[in-house]
Amino acid sequence: MAVDSNNPQHQQAEDATEQAVLERLKHAVMEGDDKAAVEAAEAAVVAGVDPQKAIMEGLAAGMNEMGRLYEEGECYVPELMVAAEALYAGLGVLQPLVLGSGARDAKKGVVVIGVVQGDIHDIGKNLVKLMLEVSGFEIHDLGRDVAMERFVEECQRVNADLLCLSALMTTTIIAIKDYLPEFKAKLPHTKIMIGGAPLNQQLADEWGADGYGENAMEAARVALRLVA
Amino acid sequence: MSCDQMTPQERWQALVNGERPDRVPCLQFMLGHTAVVSGRPIAKVYDDAAESLRCQMAAMQLYGHDGLVLHGWANAGGAEFGGEIEFPYRKYTGAPLMKQNPVQNEEDAWNLKVPEDVASAGTIPTALAFSRLQYEAGLPVTVQVGSPLTWAGSVCGEERLMLWIIKKPDLVHHVLRVITDLILRKADLWLREFGPERLMAFDLCIETNKLYSPKQFEAFASPYLKEIHDYLTERGTSIFLSHICGEQNKNLPYWSQLSFGKRGMISVGKEIALATAAASFPECVILGNVDPVLVQEGTPEMVRALCRECILEGKGHPGGYALMTGCEVPPQAPPVNVGQMVAACREFGRY
Repeated sequence: MAVDSNNPQHQQAEDATEQAVLERLKHAVMEGDDKAAVEAAEAAVVAGVDPQKAIMEGLAAGMNEMGRLYEEGECYVPELMVAAEALYAGLGVLQPLVLGSGARDAKKGVVVIGVVQGDIHDIGKNLVKLMLEVSGFEIHDLGRDVAMERFVEECQRVNADLLCLSALMTTTIIAIKDYLPEFKAKLPHTKIMIGGAPLNQQLADEWGADGYGENAMEAARVALRLVA
Repeated sequence: MSCDQMTPQERWQALVNGERPDRVPCLQFMLGHTAVVSGRPIAKVYDDAAESLRCQMAAMQLYGHDGLVLHGWANAGGAEFGGEIEFPYRKYTGAPLMKQNPVQNEEDAWNLKVPEDVASAGTIPTALAFSRLQYEAGLPVTVQVGSPLTWAGSVCGEERLMLWIIKKPDLVHHVLRVITDLILRKADLWLREFGPERLMAFDLCIETNKLYSPKQFEAFASPYLKEIHDYLTERGTSIFLSHICGEQNKNLPYWSQLSFGKRGMISVGKEIALATAAASFPECVILGNVDPVLVQEGTPEMVRALCRECILEGKGHPGGYALMTGCEVPPQAPPVNVGQMVAACREFGRY
């Protein structure tokens, strides 16, 4: 059915539909319901909602709300994990449409992320990756137990704006300390953020990192500030 | 110069007997560091019973601390069910890593079973060999018994486990049931061979409130911890030490309901105030809570000042107190920093 966009009633109806679909996407993520997220994403496509808007104001908005609840102690990592699963399910529908529309110019920056050599604890890294993704960054995830040299190679390959290094053990934070001077010398245009349970702002400052996040949500805020 | 009036053995015994020692004891949760100061690969404290004991005894002599000597690591359990483990021989590794979790999907989880021969499963033979050496050396015989939820992360992979906690709680309870059964059968091995009087059971528990809610702790950690604590204490186990790792303030009401037998010892990190720990466990010895990262990255003066704070906060606890780091002493911590801990006990901890 053709819609007369000059007709205020039709416009209102469209807006209402769009808003309803965005709410469905958001709630599907917050409920951790991957099936509902896929259905809502498909509804967004049928309703003609801009896929980038559906991602950022629907799925990502839901994930950001979960992040806020985590910071307030109202939800915990298992709930974040299932929310992320729903988010990725919805992205599976919407992301190919964004890629096809040439709307990637909206990306906030390019990130290389990984858990450093000798460390396999990647829950924190995965949460940071997720929150950066929903903040609009393009992510290149090297995984865990990553040889330190790989970070430089990958940053140079993708022309990264931001390098995020994660470590959970007292032995592996030493890898970050050891390699930060070399990374800064070899990657003069890449900002470097560090994170992980043993780390703190003071160590990040002492070692010359550009940023530190106490948790994934703060990491995303710091990342946005660093690339602004 | 030391003004100590007790030997480390006498000080330990006083702590265990609920008597006041000459000064605040310094116990050390120190594994990889003992290998480093002994010039050995860190892996040796985990994969070689004799080397492990040798390194730990040498470090005890070097620093003059009052214990502990034990074999174990937090992220244990996976190897006992057939998972692939890597011992820390590589640069920057500091503890055993799970390379491949034995449970990769729901079917694996439902099929999880206690190994028929527990004594030969995973790293249990090394732990048993270590305990035999402890016994021969006249030391407390230690056995690691959890925690089941921490081990479940090693068995299933942490992320998978967390998803299942929300989506497949029955499956998680099945996994925890099997892990708990394994732990009880492991405990039986130690009880039979060494008897309860020489036994110090311990669990290392990383189910922090940064990861899990207190409700999730109540549902998925607490019942299994209780079963294991009850099993061992009802059989007369002499000492039960729980390392409550990280931010677990909201879990303390559940922890405080557990039985700790004749002598309970509670080790807490910097996230739990010593006063809070003391109020939660009035009859247990409190161990803590020097920030291990400061011991690695700070100066000797900073470590000394922090130890002084801890000692002054903890030493009056009626259940007993010993200075300890809030988690494992970092393997690469400067020895001059680690040495500050015993020095601080001598300077500020006199009763």
